[in-house]
Amino acid sequence: MTWLPYAHALVAREDLPIPAWLFAWGASIVLIVSFFALSVGWRRPRFEEARWRPLGAGLSRGITGLPVQALCGAIGVFLLGVAVYAGLRGTEAPDRNFAVTFVFVTAWLGFPLLSVLLGDVFRPFNPWRAIGRLAGLGFTAIAGQGPRHLAYPQRLGRWPAAIGLVAFVWLEVVYGVSGGIVASPDPHTTGVAVLVYSVYALAMMALFGVEQWCRKGEIFSVYFGMFSQLGCFEVRDGRLGRRRPLAAASSWATVPGSIAMVIASIATTSFDGASEGAFKGGIETVFGWLTDIGFDPTLALRTTNTIFLALCFVGVGLVYLIGVRGMRTVHGAPPLAKLRAGFAHTLIPIAFAYLLAHYFSYFVFQEQAQFTYLLSDPLGTTTTDLFGTASGSVDYKLISATDVWYVQVGALVVGHVVGLTLAHDRAVAWWGDYRDASRSQYWMLAVMVAFTCFGLYLLSAANS
Amino acid sequence: MNKQTKKAAAVLAALAATGVLAACGSGSSDDNGSVSGRFEPVADAPIGYANVAGEATLERPDGGTETAISLTGLKPDTAYVAHLHTGGCDGTDPGGSHFKFDPTGGEEPPNEIHFAFTANAEGEGEATARSDREVPEGEAGSIVVHLDPEAMTAAPSSIEAETVFVHEGVDHSKEGPGHGGAHEHPEKIACAQLEAETSEPAAIGPENTIVIENGEPTGGVREMEFQAGEEIAFRVESDIAEEIHVHGYDLSQNVAAGGDVEFRFPADIEGIFEVELEELGEQIAELRVEP
Repeated sequence: MTWLPYAHALVAREDLPIPAWLFAWGASIVLIVSFFALSVGWRRPRFEEARWRPLGAGLSRGITGLPVQALCGAIGVFLLGVAVYAGLRGTEAPDRNFAVTFVFVTAWLGFPLLSVLLGDVFRPFNPWRAIGRLAGLGFTAIAGQGPRHLAYPQRLGRWPAAIGLVAFVWLEVVYGVSGGIVASPDPHTTGVAVLVYSVYALAMMALFGVEQWCRKGEIFSVYFGMFSQLGCFEVRDGRLGRRRPLAAASSWATVPGSIAMVIASIATTSFDGASEGAFKGGIETVFGWLTDIGFDPTLALRTTNTIFLALCFVGVGLVYLIGVRGMRTVHGAPPLAKLRAGFAHTLIPIAFAYLLAHYFSYFVFQEQAQFTYLLSDPLGTTTTDLFGTASGSVDYKLISATDVWYVQVGALVVGHVVGLTLAHDRAVAWWGDYRDASRSQYWMLAVMVAFTCFGLYLLSAANS
Repeated sequence: MNKQTKKAAAVLAALAATGVLAACGSGSSDDNGSVSGRFEPVADAPIGYANVAGEATLERPDGGTETAISLTGLKPDTAYVAHLHTGGCDGTDPGGSHFKFDPTGGEEPPNEIHFAFTANAEGEGEATARSDREVPEGEAGSIVVHLDPEAMTAAPSSIEAETVFVHEGVDHSKEGPGHGGAHEHPEKIACAQLEAETSEPAAIGPENTIVIENGEPTGGVREMEFQAGEEIAFRVESDIAEEIHVHGYDLSQNVAAGGDVEFRFPADIEGIFEVELEELGEQIAELRVEP
């Protein structure tokens, strides 16, 4: 059988699998806490209203005012430009080029974390939004009236973003093939991809309007915005305010395509974890079939991984639908379509937990590169040293294997419990009677435990 | 066997014993071959020295020799001398004869390595001696401490003494042992047997030997597991000239076509690491370092 190694071109170290005992502990805690959370009687819904309260006007003006917004936008556009330039003109060694780490690690993994902690911070930094708004201002100044846009088809909802998310992750974990192995995309591909996406995003903004497209179709705005629903800071009508944590999520999934978005988020992370373990045998088998019928290895590998990525999407979706379908068996349940959309937000914490568990160490190590040599020598020329940190290196001893394990198990357990709490809360709101609500949630409990155990399994020794 | 071959053989034996040949990295031998030992009272030490303890180290940086001793349990404010000997601490004559750079030369520094120091009020003493010549491997057997026959009562305030022996020039020891250097030292007190710190490296078995044929590892990517804190040791035998790169630890060694290369380094980063042929980008092994 053809042997298929999986190489992260960027990181020289991979996490050790979680040992069996920790796996068992993690899974047990999940079960016990889940039953406890359900049985102690959460009888009133608490997350149905966000209870947004404005913060001090001075602070609010400082943060949401034009100078800060313009500065943030300028920083975003500048970094986008650096990433494109480095990708196109810099070294082809992925680990020495600013573009790859900045796009796939710093921004892609950093913004979800920042969004949960601080709210939707991507919005001011979003380079396409900044360019779009500037272009809109320019248009208004010249034409004397604001640009007119097409009405966004409401049925599309967040589908463009969900599909875009899968495409982005496909580019990250499937497309990049070098020497018969999957690797992260090379810098040039990254640069071109960013350029192509920029043209696409700006065109869509011109068609449908900047804010409209950012709410529904711009992959990163929607994706990072999804995580910001968990946090307690939100800007409303130019005013910064505080809200009840997690509560904003409860109204997030009412837009079509939101379920696809959150399922895609879990599925893509699962694929990245499983392709090195649980799926390895299957991937090798399918790859063997495809090469036997005449596919060249690169195409065969991409096709195989695409199939398995799609399988992840279907698998995660099915588990969720089973949980939702099960609620219908409880007296007084709303229609299935309403249930489907009504519980999608409970997967956001799971998606975040998966992200944290899978990429925590990767992020910690690769950011050391980002802020040392990649910052001082973005093109990887080895002759530039902008900030005197070009000779820096990654300290792999910064966090130990056991630290990584505890973060992984902790993230999965906490993420699961939060998801379960949100689901229970919604059930209480909709069923009214907390006993019926609890009964309906046995199904969701099964779903959550399945997700957590699957997540633990992907990180555990059983998977390697 | 003439003297030169004998010496070469001794050096080779010592090299093998201290693992210099097997050391990984760029193979710098200038910092290798350090030996050390712990002081223990000699069998017929005078009364009052039963608790003497301490450490002796001998290093060979850059073609010279640096020797350091530190002791406790001595008599307060008492002067001592110590010498590098060729023999071990056991037997009726602990240490045997003094080490001499030139066996036919005199019994004074810089031809010998001597220390002089005075214990402080707590009975502690330290001394270092440096020489610009290298004590050959295997010839530093022990360091023996005596009472200073000439300065039994002299008590310099410092408990630390440093002696520098320069081979070409005159002996400009700051506090040179002024005694005659003859073998009339009254009483041996303690002896530290000098031994290589690293034990003989374990042989690398076939399970940790990766054979490269036509640029690929035979039998697929080799998985090797180590515990953190252990020594990672493996060998690569290659039929092509390549650079072997250990990720994470970021160590590289070149291997010639038909040659082999050994890696030995402490397992101090936990995780999973690839070993690959750098030019071909081919993974040949996976190191797992478990906590």
